[in-house]
Amino acid sequence: MSKVYFSTWRGELVDNRGLPKDEWKESEYNLPEQYEEHRASRAFIGWDGVSIFDDDVDVIKLATEYAAQYQIYSEACGRCAPGRWGGRILYDMLDKIARGEGELSDFEHIKEIAKSMQLTSKCEIGKTVPNPILDLMTYFEDDFLDCINNKKPSKHYTQDELDYIAKITAPCMDECPSHVDIPAYIEGVRDLRFDDSLMATRQTMPLAHTCGRVCPHPCEDACRRANLDEPISIMELKRLGADYETDHGFGFFHPVEKKPSIGKKVAVIGAGPAGLTGAYYMAAEGIDVDVYEELPVLGGEVTVGVPEYRMPIDRYNKDIECVKDMGVNFITNHKVTADEMRQFEKDYDAILIATGTRLSKKVRCENEREEIKGYWGAINFLDCINLYEKFGIKVPKEIQQKQMLDKDYVDLTGKTVVCVGGGFTSMDVVRCSVRAGAKKVIMIYRRDEKTIIRNTTYEEYHEAVEEGVEFLFHSAVSKIVTDENDVLQKLIVSKFELIPDPDGGRPQLKKIEGADYELECDYLIPAVSQSANFDFLPEEWDLEMTSWATLKTNGRDYMTSRKGVFAAGDCEYGPMTIVNAVGQAKRAASVISRYVQTGEITLTDEEIMEDHLRKLKVYDKNEKVTGWLPGLPRAVSEKLDVEIRKTNNREVNLGFTQEEAIAEAERCMRCYYIAMVAT
Amino acid sequence: MIEFSIDGITVKAQKGETILEVARRYGIYIPTMCYVSKTTPCASCRLCSVEVEGADGFVLSCNTPPTPGIKVTTNSQKLHNERVNIMKLYDVNHPLECGVCDKSGECDLQNKTLEFGVDTQNFSAKEQKRYVKHWNLIDYDPSLCILCEKCVHVCNEVIGDDAIEIYFGGYNSTIIPKNSDTLDCTFCGECIAVCPVGALVSSDFKYTSNAWELRRVPAICAHCSAGCSLEYDVKHTSLESNEDKIYRVKNNYEYKNLCGAGRFGFDFYIKPRKNKDEDFNKAVDALKNAKAVRFSSIITNEEALILQKLKEKFGFKLFNEDARLTKEFYNNFASTSGKSLDSVNLEELSCSDGVIVIGTQIATDNPAVRYAITTASKQKGAKVVYFHPVEDKLMQNVVNQFSKYEVGTEEGVLALIANELLKNKELPNELKNYFDNLDFGYIEAESSIGADEIASMSLWLKRSKNITLVAGNDLVSHDKAKNIAKILGVIDRYSDVNVLIVPKDMNTIGVSQICELDKDDENLDNVVGYNDKGDFIISSMEENADMIVPAINQQEGTVVSIDKKVLPTNVALRFDGYTLNDIANELGLNKELTIEWTKELGSIKGFKEVDFDSLENFYGRLGEDIRGYEFDIDTDLDVSLNLDDIDDLPEYNGVVIYNANPVLQFNRYTAKTKQLPKEAVLRGSKQFAIAAKLNDGDVVKVDIDGVEIKRKFEIDPDLKGVVGINPTFDLDFEVNSYRFKKTKLERVEQ
Repeated sequence: MSKVYFSTWRGELVDNRGLPKDEWKESEYNLPEQYEEHRASRAFIGWDGVSIFDDDVDVIKLATEYAAQYQIYSEACGRCAPGRWGGRILYDMLDKIARGEGELSDFEHIKEIAKSMQLTSKCEIGKTVPNPILDLMTYFEDDFLDCINNKKPSKHYTQDELDYIAKITAPCMDECPSHVDIPAYIEGVRDLRFDDSLMATRQTMPLAHTCGRVCPHPCEDACRRANLDEPISIMELKRLGADYETDHGFGFFHPVEKKPSIGKKVAVIGAGPAGLTGAYYMAAEGIDVDVYEELPVLGGEVTVGVPEYRMPIDRYNKDIECVKDMGVNFITNHKVTADEMRQFEKDYDAILIATGTRLSKKVRCENEREEIKGYWGAINFLDCINLYEKFGIKVPKEIQQKQMLDKDYVDLTGKTVVCVGGGFTSMDVVRCSVRAGAKKVIMIYRRDEKTIIRNTTYEEYHEAVEEGVEFLFHSAVSKIVTDENDVLQKLIVSKFELIPDPDGGRPQLKKIEGADYELECDYLIPAVSQSANFDFLPEEWDLEMTSWATLKTNGRDYMTSRKGVFAAGDCEYGPMTIVNAVGQAKRAASVISRYVQTGEITLTDEEIMEDHLRKLKVYDKNEKVTGWLPGLPRAVSEKLDVEIRKTNNREVNLGFTQEEAIAEAERCMRCYYIAMVAT
Repeated sequence: MIEFSIDGITVKAQKGETILEVARRYGIYIPTMCYVSKTTPCASCRLCSVEVEGADGFVLSCNTPPTPGIKVTTNSQKLHNERVNIMKLYDVNHPLECGVCDKSGECDLQNKTLEFGVDTQNFSAKEQKRYVKHWNLIDYDPSLCILCEKCVHVCNEVIGDDAIEIYFGGYNSTIIPKNSDTLDCTFCGECIAVCPVGALVSSDFKYTSNAWELRRVPAICAHCSAGCSLEYDVKHTSLESNEDKIYRVKNNYEYKNLCGAGRFGFDFYIKPRKNKDEDFNKAVDALKNAKAVRFSSIITNEEALILQKLKEKFGFKLFNEDARLTKEFYNNFASTSGKSLDSVNLEELSCSDGVIVIGTQIATDNPAVRYAITTASKQKGAKVVYFHPVEDKLMQNVVNQFSKYEVGTEEGVLALIANELLKNKELPNELKNYFDNLDFGYIEAESSIGADEIASMSLWLKRSKNITLVAGNDLVSHDKAKNIAKILGVIDRYSDVNVLIVPKDMNTIGVSQICELDKDDENLDNVVGYNDKGDFIISSMEENADMIVPAINQQEGTVVSIDKKVLPTNVALRFDGYTLNDIANELGLNKELTIEWTKELGSIKGFKEVDFDSLENFYGRLGEDIRGYEFDIDTDLDVSLNLDDIDDLPEYNGVVIYNANPVLQFNRYTAKTKQLPKEAVLRGSKQFAIAAKLNDGDVVKVDIDGVEIKRKFEIDPDLKGVVGINPTFDLDFEVNSYRFKKTKLERVEQ
């Protein structure tokens, strides 16, 4: 809800003109009425209407400025005749009226040009820029006609003290936690300019290979194309740019030139997606970055968690090399201690903690003890598999012993593996178990098929089923049974039913009495969730924690309760996605790069607008899409045949062929929008 | 097949076709300003919007494939109004300089402005000051530019230079050189060709003629074997003189390409000398007494046939090592492939999804092949694996794997490739045994192509279903060409890969099929050189030859292109002198005109008995090549599989140079043109300079097949390795030997 003077946002007409302020009707949308803590918004104007918060706003000037922003921001567009010239004419004629030199015919021409732009522009920016302008011309016609007929400037034309802050967005960009410029990288594919495509991605996402392969793509849930037929296969189109760079042996296409050193140093703890991302963008700003990594290898969970068949390490290494190429210094095999952290605080200008969540949580059942042989936390299980498969690093002797392995790698031939989970990690566990030769692989999940698909992806679930993983839904382990040597023997499994919530909430799970049964197995791998390990934090820092036992920040600037100490990624948010970690770290890097120079915690206008739009939500699933032919199916890339893939680590997703990629890119509607706030 | 309707007509679309493509195939008109068939849609003009029943708003036809059953309307009042509006926008502030603009008369903006009747401008935008950019052979005027993006698309997707891009800035948008202050490219000039307005123009042609004054002569480019179609635009030299001159060259840019040598290197025509009668008589005598005639492959089929007939009549020998080696190569290829010639054309190459290149610096040897590979790579996602001792920087953005082999080991490398491509194929026993008995350890060691590189090639080509192997002239001129050709034949016949052999010169194939050639290894007296060295030289290339004959663009006749097509070319400029046919007449072969020999070609296998004047010379509305006729290839010849063992791969130690020409240079024709850069220098990497003990700027003596020439040496930072690159385009004789040379480079005082 927002208090507005006048609003046409998203088709809702709120008109409080002539009413005293305390009688103003509110808008039901989360409009950015307060730009910053001490800075109110006067107006908000965007693709879907205009909202005015202050009755003194000069609407003609507002319309003119919006058209002007289209000129300034049209680097993103300006690619079609109606947009390029139409936008300019719109501005010139609005300004003419605002100056007091307009004619009635100009008023009509604006409408005519606006109509053409709406109908024929290449992208939504050109199609939607006229929308709020026409709204203003309709509802404030008298103001316009007053200027035209009396040949006078608009009311604040000469002494305009407002600030106009504009931002380009798109539904997919808004939904992406890293706010990747998705239409730009898709346009790069469509135009066969893969270097441009990659640079567009890398503006906010250095891990293009990775997020072109294993991103759960929340963006696709906000793809406007879904309003017409099916969402664009956004995620897979990302890898084309990265593959182009790698496959032709080019140097790295960085989106910006590295700035010369500014003499500031930042320590990053952890070389996973968040650490890599933070380091990349800080290094680009001329900061000297040291990244400390506990493991012998770089890349964090994507390296030791995500299996080779989903994310080939040679491709991920390219993402990592790209970060190195920006001039980041890495120190591996180095577990940071509390004493070191105290020292870092003195030696570095800031610290970014990006240590992830690397403790497997328990399944919470009877007789669940870490020391049971055959009880194997998912994180360690995947570490063992991935370090061996990707780097040839053998399973340590003590783990071999505890987990009764007779080889120095994970060989599960003849074994039955039960995994308890339902998220990406558990999928990795079961599919790796298949590849490690397990006789039988079972996934136990408390809820149903639909939910597991929602928590992961349809492809992931479908491929696991194809590979022979057995899914037991509505089930949970209630007890672990061991033999006299404390070796796992079997599990007692309980069955549940889902009781729908009459209020439409998440259904409740109710145990079905007497339905328990036994399940014999060799391994139980809990993959229910992970938690963070903060034993390296000096106790006296007493960093504020969330209720999830992660580091608390305000979720906007990513500073912890201690000045100069920042946190991003899973250790801040809890176990989440790569793209979430990247988005947080990118923002943190931006904040830190200013903090180390000024000592102030600030956000850029771009970032403030980003947060406002996120709150407002750019995607409107009920919007009717026009100007596109519906019914064009989403491209699906070829997958390695199940019989070929399930015994090895070959990449399962073969990616699009060029023709598929181009056809898919052609479906993208370039839903760029301009939003502008006047303060 | 998707069935739908356009303007009430039931039409069918193939997979991947857009509404616009289907409409054009059915001859239904949809206006466009930014569409060029050979690239992905630019989608900037929006003129091609159509209406689809049931879909709200307009649908862009250029990038939308149809769905079954839709009803498309290409024209309605509503569409017309919007198209008019778009044209109004295009015309806003477009400089009114049609009176002097190069494009006037053939300008899409003019045409569409007229078509949509935009005769007034009732709104305007603020003027902006913009400056003309001078990019060497190309001028760019941003104020004339309508930002259709055709140039950018063509440069990137077809040519592969990727040298220009859009500077995004809305109303201030403009075309700029990519990653460079000025245009740094191979100057093919396709950007000029596709420009629908006068924004990109030839700096040489600019302001020299109105389009409608020029007479258009369809012809074939003389500079390489691609047989590119071009059009010489001809007009009188000045008001005082009615002598004609070629003003520029144009091409069918909608579907085909032309490189810069074809486009800018057109002024190689020649004039007869004053005492032409005397020269003529001497030439007749010289031929009468000749022991041999040595000639280049840059001649027409008709000239080649005349030389052959003269040989038959006078018994002299005919020397043309290029065509002779090529002929032998084809014969050996035929012995294992069963095909008299390779059967792939450039159109097919451009549709490949996998390409293997070996034995050529393809970007400069044959730009048309390069463009086909670029198209395949960019548009079809073809994976390109390139084997050569010298890395070709121009090809980097299409090449996936570059494998460097040791100079001279082509035979071994090809055996490795063949062995890999034939894996898991049903093979006759003798072939199986042949490959089983090859010593691959030895070959890998000598060629430096390891098993990992061959495995990597397979990995790249894993998903490819339509692979072409491009075989260059290093193979044809190789000492082991016989076995190399046989291995190529085996690949063509027994693997899924098709072989394309790149001929060296304009009419290498034609000559190889027409003439019975003798081996040029005797030291004979009385050799007549025809566009080549000799004791008496008849040439269209050398001003100081003993007799001057017309250059290719002053002749009519036919040639056989890389596509194995017999193509007609025409006279762009008159030649007031004698021709080879005149000499032949004098010597008793009675044909009034050279082109009377065209029909006689029919007696030679592969050619047809047709009159020159009945040969067509154009492209169809959809880009169908309706020029000349297909050379008939025998495809069911007997096969014999006796291949040679590979156990003596040559070694090239010490200083090695590679005879290869720089961008835009091919031969003595290109060497004498005004616009093309023609500095002929020996180039090498720093490493080469150290190995050859040379400094940048040194002048050295280079031995080319026994002829000593002087070359300036320059260090080229783009080159790697220890092979230097030596151009041959400026030499007054043909170099047809193996292109790598072990050589001593002796420094000389300048």
